Amino acid sequence: MIQPDSDNLPQNYLWSDPARCIGCCSCEVACILEHDLPPGPRPIRIIQIGPLSHKDGLVMTFQPASCLHCLAPACVEACPTGAMHKRIDGLVLSDPDLCIGCQTCAIACPFGVPMLNPDKGKISKCDGCAARVDQGLSPACVLTCPTEALSFMNPVMKAQKARERFSQGIRQLKPKR
Amino acid sequence: MDHRLFDRLPGTRKAYDRKIKTICQECAVRCGLVAYLGQGKIVDIHGDDDHPVSRGRLCARGMAFIQGIDHPARITSSASRRTLQVPFDYSEDGEKALDLLADLLRKIKDHYGPEALQITCDPASDLDFAFGAARFAALWGLSHIYSPSPSRKDQSVFSWADLPFYPCNEWTRSRSLFLVEADPATTHPVAFGWALEARQRGSKLIAADCRFTRSMAKADKTLRLKPHTGNILGLALMKMLLERPGFDDVLIRTRFLEPEKWQRSFEQISWEDLENTLGVSRRSITEIGELLAGKQPITIITGESLADLSGYGIWSTLMMAMGWGNIKGSGWYPLNGTNLWSVVKDKEIPDVKSIAELVRLSKGGGLSAKALIYSGNGLVDLMTSSEDLTRNLDLTVCFGAFPDLGWQKARMFIPSILWAEKSDLCFSSDRQLLWAEKILDPPAGCRSGLDFWGGLAKRFGWTESFPGIREDGSTDQVAFYQSILKDESFKGINWEDLKSSPGRSAALLWTHEEPKTDPMFAPEELASFSPGQEETPFPLAFLRIPLVTRSTGIGSYWPWAKQIEAEEAVQIHPETAKLLQIENGEAVMISSPAKTLEARAWITRMVLPGMAASPLSLESDRVMIYKADMTPEEALTFLSS
Repeated sequence: MIQPDSDNLPQNYLWSDPARCIGCCSCEVACILEHDLPPGPRPIRIIQIGPLSHKDGLVMTFQPASCLHCLAPACVEACPTGAMHKRIDGLVLSDPDLCIGCQTCAIACPFGVPMLNPDKGKISKCDGCAARVDQGLSPACVLTCPTEALSFMNPVMKAQKARERFSQGIRQLKPKR
Repeated sequence: MDHRLFDRLPGTRKAYDRKIKTICQECAVRCGLVAYLGQGKIVDIHGDDDHPVSRGRLCARGMAFIQGIDHPARITSSASRRTLQVPFDYSEDGEKALDLLADLLRKIKDHYGPEALQITCDPASDLDFAFGAARFAALWGLSHIYSPSPSRKDQSVFSWADLPFYPCNEWTRSRSLFLVEADPATTHPVAFGWALEARQRGSKLIAADCRFTRSMAKADKTLRLKPHTGNILGLALMKMLLERPGFDDVLIRTRFLEPEKWQRSFEQISWEDLENTLGVSRRSITEIGELLAGKQPITIITGESLADLSGYGIWSTLMMAMGWGNIKGSGWYPLNGTNLWSVVKDKEIPDVKSIAELVRLSKGGGLSAKALIYSGNGLVDLMTSSEDLTRNLDLTVCFGAFPDLGWQKARMFIPSILWAEKSDLCFSSDRQLLWAEKILDPPAGCRSGLDFWGGLAKRFGWTESFPGIREDGSTDQVAFYQSILKDESFKGINWEDLKSSPGRSAALLWTHEEPKTDPMFAPEELASFSPGQEETPFPLAFLRIPLVTRSTGIGSYWPWAKQIEAEEAVQIHPETAKLLQIENGEAVMISSPAKTLEARAWITRMVLPGMAASPLSLESDRVMIYKADMTPEEALTFLSS
């Protein structure tokens, strides 16, 4: 069941910066460790793009790909038991007590995010580290990322960070003689 | 529910009863690590936010190691067998196993002499085993032991003591960071975070490599070299900088012996030869050289593979000639870490030779050894020709933890404790001395490297020369290290302070070699520094390299690491693949003069045409790749057409 975002509380999102991602997959292992997952499901994955031709050289980027915690999640609508739900803070997650492992959510999701945990027979997907967030902790993938390519914050703070970074860059510019 | 703005909020949500701060020892960056324990088991691990280098970050390998600790395949009992063809007999009595080993070694020594024993070890991965091995070898009467990081006394390079050095968190001060055949984004991701931060602050990141690496993808300027030519690029850059108008030769005249002769040696190399060998134009080299000739500070970061190639001395020579290193954030940072052997008192250990030399000797039939002792997965990672190496030996002893290739080739197996199970000293690639606290107790029956060598020394009556051995067979590491480390480098260390603040460095910039003032001369014939020529029927240059993470060889015991590393992949350029009629993801055969393996094709422009790269060990730098339903001869015809 999708809860209306009626109280206008700021929602936190997982932000990824491909310019900083080096494809080291630390986030993948941190996520697996945090959720105690067997080999197989990877709630966050690094997608390598390239090398592709660009001007007279090559370019290659890495895109951390995880659940987008959609505003109107198809997986939530499709879930027959109500296990998949969207919290008031925007995180989309599955309640393991209600999940029957039917994988309808996996079919409904246009991005192929939900995957079956073969050990438990339940759906496994990025839950935004809801249990950590509820204790005031950052998601595991964000904490471990060696290059700070991942961050978890609301858009207001993200914009503020971007402004700070930009102003730092301005300060480093020196006037040309 | 807390909706406050999130920044960085570390910690664990899991229930724990103990928290231990220590150092990750999976690579030489030595990141700070916090382990949370509940009921004697690790329940969570995170990076240590107070650590000045890692700042709370950890890489994939630095987290996946915990899977090995309780892995069902881990071996915790001593074992022995009469031949490699029969299964092991396991014994819970470790002392009895050492008694047996000592008897066998004594017989071999009596019959064939001391040189019949050979020892290989790696100080970067298991410091106490390596230093214990060195001391034992000296007492045994060996003239040398083998290590992947040899002492390099034969190389004409400046003393490291003369070369200023700054840790990786000082890279942010550099105006230019120059990576040469180094891919820290793959091998040392946490350290590479500092390179990205430097770039964000305005540094230029320059990368030269034969592969389009993860690090190169972030670079401002790139140079694609032919494989194994990184050191020759150093020669070319030195030549370019010497020929550059306005080159200041004050440093050369004041610091170099025979400066004119040295300078002439670079004049006689032709640019044509350099261009042909490197596969890049003089113009490209000049562009890089102009960037390096710009404002300091400049840091050169060289990859691990360069240390085993001819001409490695060019980097210290280049740094000395250009005066780099005089200000913070400047200098030469070799990713292969440091020459740990030079911190050991020279008279107390034998010479240290490269494991590659041991393999060459073995292949050439020049190895007269009858027994070999090696640690960990040494045979997998370090010895490229284990079949040849172990074939004619009477006794092979593996000190390890898993049933890997080392175990398969062993006639005796002594179970080792893992780094997380011992409090010990370690060194970082930042040349820091660190004390790492143990996270949890080792399984009964496993011993540390020092306990192993100390136990053997005790049986030979060498306890006086092997300080720190206790009555129960264990060894006091501090007493041992104090006896073996050079006094002048480590005087003033307060071991109690060091031990009480795990993860904090206690020493920096130790002396490496006796001072020298002779720079590396350019070779008379460039061919002597060049990689081998193409040899059919193996026309493709081959690079054995981790493609995603530095977890090759251990993935079987760390499933998390295995699923992210493409262990069976071989990278092929699209043009080469087209000629060989290979599709992406297709099963292929990859063969070298030594062996043939199955692999999965990864068609990518990360490699150059005419080369291949894979974590697979082919025991050669020349290979041939062909479809599984094709013969190598057919594929060769396609390739030559």
